[in-house]
Amino acid sequence: MTAVTARTLPETAPPQPTRRPRSKTAKWSALFLSPALIVIGVFTIIPMLMTVWISFNKWSMFTSITDMTFVGLDNYARLLGDASRMQAIANTGIYVGLSVLITIPLALLIALLLYFPKLKGKGIVRTLLFATYVIPTIAIVIIWGNIYAPGYGPLSAMVSAVGLTPPGWLSDPQWALVSLVIFNVWQMLGYYVILLIAGLTQINEELYEAARIDGAGLLRQTWSITIPLLRPSLIFVILMTFVNSIQVFDPIYLLTQGGPANSTNVVGFEIQRSAFQYGMAGDASALAVSLFLMVVAVGGVLGIIMKGRKR
Amino acid sequence: MKKSILTATGLGIVAALTLSGCAGSPDSGSADGTQEITFLTHWGPDQVAMLEAAGDAFTAENPDITLKVQAVPFGNLLSTLRTQGTSANGPTIVGAYDAWLPELVRDGLAAKAPSDVVDDVAANWPENVASASSNGGDLYGIPNEIDLYALNYNTSLFDAAGVAEAPADWDALVEDAAKLTTGDQQGIGFITGWNSGAVHPFLSLLASNGGTFLNEDGTASDLTSDEAIETAELYETLVKAGSTDASKSTANANTTGPYLDNFVNDKTGMIIMANWWESSLKDAMGDSFSNVATAPIPVGPSGTESSSISYSWMTIVNSKADEAKQDAAWQFLTYLNGPDSGENGSSAMGDILTSMGIMPTRTSDIEAHAESLETPFLSTYVDALEAATPFPTVLGGPAATDALQVQLEALLNGQIDAKTAMENAARDVDAALSAAQ
Repeated sequence: MTAVTARTLPETAPPQPTRRPRSKTAKWSALFLSPALIVIGVFTIIPMLMTVWISFNKWSMFTSITDMTFVGLDNYARLLGDASRMQAIANTGIYVGLSVLITIPLALLIALLLYFPKLKGKGIVRTLLFATYVIPTIAIVIIWGNIYAPGYGPLSAMVSAVGLTPPGWLSDPQWALVSLVIFNVWQMLGYYVILLIAGLTQINEELYEAARIDGAGLLRQTWSITIPLLRPSLIFVILMTFVNSIQVFDPIYLLTQGGPANSTNVVGFEIQRSAFQYGMAGDASALAVSLFLMVVAVGGVLGIIMKGRKR
Repeated sequence: MKKSILTATGLGIVAALTLSGCAGSPDSGSADGTQEITFLTHWGPDQVAMLEAAGDAFTAENPDITLKVQAVPFGNLLSTLRTQGTSANGPTIVGAYDAWLPELVRDGLAAKAPSDVVDDVAANWPENVASASSNGGDLYGIPNEIDLYALNYNTSLFDAAGVAEAPADWDALVEDAAKLTTGDQQGIGFITGWNSGAVHPFLSLLASNGGTFLNEDGTASDLTSDEAIETAELYETLVKAGSTDASKSTANANTTGPYLDNFVNDKTGMIIMANWWESSLKDAMGDSFSNVATAPIPVGPSGTESSSISYSWMTIVNSKADEAKQDAAWQFLTYLNGPDSGENGSSAMGDILTSMGIMPTRTSDIEAHAESLETPFLSTYVDALEAATPFPTVLGGPAATDALQVQLEALLNGQIDAKTAMENAARDVDAALSAAQ
């Protein structure tokens, strides 16, 4: 018996790959990876390290980078003592928070409505939703600038038509940031809906069938099957919403310039203004590093949540 | 093993650099001695075409020098200069705002004008204009335009409201603004969302009330003075009376938007705006532009005469460019600003500026364009030149402007009172000036 097994093994077992010596493999890996590593190094790692280094210096950008003046942590200290920059950080937090709170539930609801019911024209709706993400922001801003126009804008006209006084969408400090959040939700919603629909396709249909046999209703199925199994996609969408929102710049630059009264000044815009308008690249870099640390912190928290759930 | 990995990585680096052709060489003019100079400007297509025509005419006389125009929107001019100016291959000539000059000089980007240019400017430009292009006693640029502010008002709305003439003082301003405020129409509009547009009219009112933005040596704000608080109280009075509506006042990065729309569509009775806005008004209003009239800035209770903030522009030469290019650039600028390059004794620069409704500063240009400067719209600005208050050109000026803008917008939106606005502004302006030192 043993002899038969021993004799048949070479015929049934898959052929074993010939293993090259480790040092030889590493050499070739390094060779083939090096172009990509150079690109990442030159365009990602080096600029990031330079940003950190500039944040410890005073530099106007009119001089060579070798002419910077080292100021230690002064730029960070000034950041904490500057009301305008602290407001920019607070505004960014509000913008991100509102964007996540509005976008995620809305995207989930629309994704569920577009995935489960058997309706005609779902593909067209998906395409239309995604189109807002594909169109360049500058083009959308032109349209939204008119939508938000006071008095003669369609949004104001609609609000007036129902007997209410329209707010100054972009001119009232109480409304301007909210108006930009609405713009962001409108622009990004389609992208997140598509991501969530992709996540829904990964859930096994048989689970719903079994749940229905057990008498589970629509809400129960959603709560106990859809949302738990969609969690990786949801976490990813939350992270993407966070990252996209925290980097907001173009609509602020094009529509409000951070105003009125600093109410829409966010970190991205303040970085641009400090560096390119005021020539304070050190302050701008300190803000950029702070922004990066915020992204890393939130990304880390979401990563921990993901890992915890997997266990 | 580590050595092998390093060797392989090194090979990869060499291969990638070779393939991507990273090597480059500075452009310091061609071997035959010809020079291409680049002119960075924020002018529109029509003015760029005029500049290019002047460049062609100059090249016809000086075949070894050619001109390339690089135009960017106004909002991107300074950022373009920051990203390209430090290179020898960056723009050779730049149209620069006088408020930027202290920083450009401190960082060695603006080249000192050669002696022949210094003599030319001294002989052909008013002294106060030439001083705005100077720093520490040295001339760094050839002055070109000067801009001032005046009250712009809609005569048809004035007639409808029974207001016979433009207000000459603040009491009349408040009274007329109230008369002009009806339904969807505001009596007077103040710009928000654009720093100079928000700050310059306020500072013009402040100057007409005997006050100043900064102290004499430009090191700290002077915004807690009685004159400044009175000016802020004027805003507060107009806001409380409903005579100005912040929702009609926003301007976008291109200085258009609801502020312009509301004025050209008869929804705003008065505004305080600069002379260069004439072309925008003409484009937007067509025949209705004839309803627009101008008047001096109304005088405040502590002031003795109307005074507008003035600011100027100049053309500077990039000191990072090589010497031959700098020489070619000064040569071209002398031609562009000289009396032989334009029409009827004007310089080509004078023709370009007046095509936008902007006042030139060269004495012979003012004479050559006297007729176009005597229009009902522009004559108010020309008359205001003598008593104008130059906007302070100090390090940290742009940040200080933004700091004041924030408080003015809060005041116009009724978020804070006049005294608080000025105290906050003084604190933030001082911080901005200090940070820039």
